[in-house]
Amino acid sequence: MEAQKVDFFMMTNAKFFEGQYLMWLREQLLKLDDSRWPEVQSQQFKDPTTLLIVSLLGGNLGIDRFMLGDTGIGIAKLLTCGGLGIWSIIDWFMIMPATREKNLTTMQRVLSGSQYGPVATV
Amino acid sequence: MARSRLYSIIAIASLAGFAWITYLHSREFNISEPSVCMIKSITSIPCPSCGSSRSVMMIMDGNYLTALKINPLGFLISIMLLVCPVWVLVDVVMKRSSFLRFYHTIESIIRIKWVSIMMITLIATNWIWNIMKGI
Repeated sequence: MEAQKVDFFMMTNAKFFEGQYLMWLREQLLKLDDSRWPEVQSQQFKDPTTLLIVSLLGGNLGIDRFMLGDTGIGIAKLLTCGGLGIWSIIDWFMIMPATREKNLTTMQRVLSGSQYGPVATV
Repeated sequence: MARSRLYSIIAIASLAGFAWITYLHSREFNISEPSVCMIKSITSIPCPSCGSSRSVMMIMDGNYLTALKINPLGFLISIMLLVCPVWVLVDVVMKRSSFLRFYHTIESIIRIKWVSIMMITLIATNWIWNIMKGI
């Protein structure tokens, strides 16, 4: 893909990914075929800041984990009053990295070309 | 979710659960003590799973009806506490991932719209009941 398009994508979406993967992601996008651009552009990423707010307010009920798609973990949090309150405090710090990791998984699926196929590894 | 991560979460959660139950069982329950539940401590309104520790302890003593009256979720937690650690341990020893597959199956079932709506309704009903009981 054109460097201009890739840089535009990186600028708008940098906050959704961990810093150490940004260069890798840029290289992968540059290698990607131009016909895949609409698919890459239309991806919805989860905002780590939003998840942090949800975690602060509804972390005890596991709502943050449900939002992230970790349904099983969410139920575990819900059933145990947020892991006796300890787990929800841990998640205040863990939810932002977890969100960025989830976004990277989404991106890897797109890069590898299939919704459910094997993912490209970092 | 990676296998090693899920299994370590299950192991830590089960150990913490057993430690908590053992600690509670070693002494008398006192309602005036500060609660570990953050929602209840801050707002004085019980959360959907408040009372489940008491419920699990009642199940241990064989008072199933009392356990059901305190919080029906205690039964679910007891079953999970009994089954999950054993299953995970067997999986680790036999080098299989049957629990991981089961976990993914359950997750995909819960994501079906009508199943999730039903479960949310059940949890909400339990919550309202909890508030009415003043757990």
